Amino acid sequence: MKKLLCMIMIMAMTFTMAACGSGSGGDAEGSGDVPVIGINQYGEHSSLDNCREGFIQGLKDAGLVEGTDFAIEYQNAGFDDNISAQISQNFSANNVAIMCGIATPSAMACFTAAEDKDIPVIFTAITDPKAAGLTEGNVTGTSDKLPIEAQLELIRKIQPDAKTIGIVYTTSEPNSVSAIAEYQEKAGDYGFTIEAAGVTAQAEVTQAVDTLIKKGVDCFSNLTDNNVVGVLPSVLEKTDAAGIPVYGSEIEQVVKGCVASAGIDYIELGKKTGAMAAKILKGEAKASEMEYETITDYSIYINSKALAALSMEIPQDVKDGAVETSEE
Amino acid sequence: MIDLIISTLTQGFIYALLSYGIFITYKILDFPDLTVDGSFPLGAAVTAVMLVNGFNPYLTLLCALAVGAAAGLATGLIHVKLGVRDLLAGIITMTALFSINLQIAGSNLAVERAVDTIFSAGPTMMLFGSFSLIQRKLIVSLILVILFKLILDFYFKTKSGLLLRAVGDNNVLVTSLAKDKGRVKILGLVIANALVALSGCIVCHEQRAFASTMGTGQMIFGLAAVIIGTTLFRRMSFVKGTTAVLTGSVIYKACIQAAISMGLPANLLKLITALLFLVILVIGNVEKGKGKKYAGA
Repeated sequence: MKKLLCMIMIMAMTFTMAACGSGSGGDAEGSGDVPVIGINQYGEHSSLDNCREGFIQGLKDAGLVEGTDFAIEYQNAGFDDNISAQISQNFSANNVAIMCGIATPSAMACFTAAEDKDIPVIFTAITDPKAAGLTEGNVTGTSDKLPIEAQLELIRKIQPDAKTIGIVYTTSEPNSVSAIAEYQEKAGDYGFTIEAAGVTAQAEVTQAVDTLIKKGVDCFSNLTDNNVVGVLPSVLEKTDAAGIPVYGSEIEQVVKGCVASAGIDYIELGKKTGAMAAKILKGEAKASEMEYETITDYSIYINSKALAALSMEIPQDVKDGAVETSEE
Repeated sequence: MIDLIISTLTQGFIYALLSYGIFITYKILDFPDLTVDGSFPLGAAVTAVMLVNGFNPYLTLLCALAVGAAAGLATGLIHVKLGVRDLLAGIITMTALFSINLQIAGSNLAVERAVDTIFSAGPTMMLFGSFSLIQRKLIVSLILVILFKLILDFYFKTKSGLLLRAVGDNNVLVTSLAKDKGRVKILGLVIANALVALSGCIVCHEQRAFASTMGTGQMIFGLAAVIIGTTLFRRMSFVKGTTAVLTGSVIYKACIQAAISMGLPANLLKLITALLFLVILVIGNVEKGKGKKYAGA
């Protein structure tokens, strides 16, 4: 009986592996001398996925052909630092030509694993590369600093009478902490005060939202905080019931039901990163010589459906320059 | 390929220190200690802060041992002196440590390449300077893991070590020897968490980073390493517990590395590792065979 069980388990495992192996597609082995770009993405998450798609697009836009000029080996770490480290070590052991780290923890893991062989590392979707120690060495990439002033200006235009903005953020995410500091510094210029509520885990986000609603904030503004974005639908449920608008920090959040956002386009960010990688691959530049670039272009995104649900009007001049995300 | 084996072994060795700790609490004391998920990043947090502020990298090893011991002491006192159940005592310390770790480090911290770690500082370079960085990582972690294995093997033979083993096996005996079993338990937790924090410290040296969430799941990892190791060697009584645990730790990391090398998506990674364990455990039981219906672990 036990042996039978054992056999069944082994067979189940073999089949699962076979199925996964053929499904993963990113087979880097067997492609001969094609330089491999190892992408270590911290987790599956629409903004990060957009970065990756943009990155590959950027390589192609530079005239490189996938399969002959480069091959992609894509791995995602499922938001696990230990896995992220092992993925990077795997890339290093396989002597990839370039490592690409998407989001801070992955980029840091790549940079550490690349140290010994001095493999160039390129990063994207990092707010503060300096704090992450990614400014010195054979490393470069793009930074996704939030356009906070534009966001404050947007909120002021849509809600001329608003006084307080509520923001929920994770205290352990350096990106969020630095964004909060900037919000607090600049809010006064636009006549706002910031009510920030820090959380340590995803499970605490909705509680923090309740607290801020009770404090009577006039609206919420989101950061690119992974914990908050992860439970955005339940956040919106609460704010809709309370009749308070939520402003997103990028397009995906507006698609999900935030009223508006001044946000950067992650596909564009990825494309710029891909262009940098192409230069390294072609031997036109070295990662150690390239400065990292901060994307400052942003677009205004609005969701008319969400605005209508809260019976809010937006000024025509905002509407004219904005990208509509809800289908009507 | 050889690089991959080296880095997998290094991972296995570094995390073996954590598994030693769990071996003491879970296998010897029979104490499900959840402090681990907090004391592991505690070691890393202290290390990261010290490295960033220019302290001697070797000093961090001692400091990590000390803070880990303090965490173990806290769990021990909560359990023994305040009478809180073992599982809850660990949960309380672990939860408190999450905040304490962030308080120590400020937020997630990165250690820049210019800062020397135990793998690149003077004495290491003097001895092993001719090796590459990943080889040095392997050598240094191997030295540490063997050193602590020998210390523990020696300790288990001392009077105090024997008492520790007795508490888990038969605590009535300990009482009949007129020894306070609570005190022995606290001592076990102190040693275990010192080792766990040391492991966190070395991971911080190796990864050049501290993340507040890096402790999540470490308890499960350690438990798996202990069970895999002891199951594999259960028939070979001459193999010491520490050796078995060391092997278990390497096997676990090798399983994950194998899954990654096969290009499996991360979402399925844990499922595959779970299946691999199951196979190892079932095979272990089949070999032992005959009539035992449940694992003795």
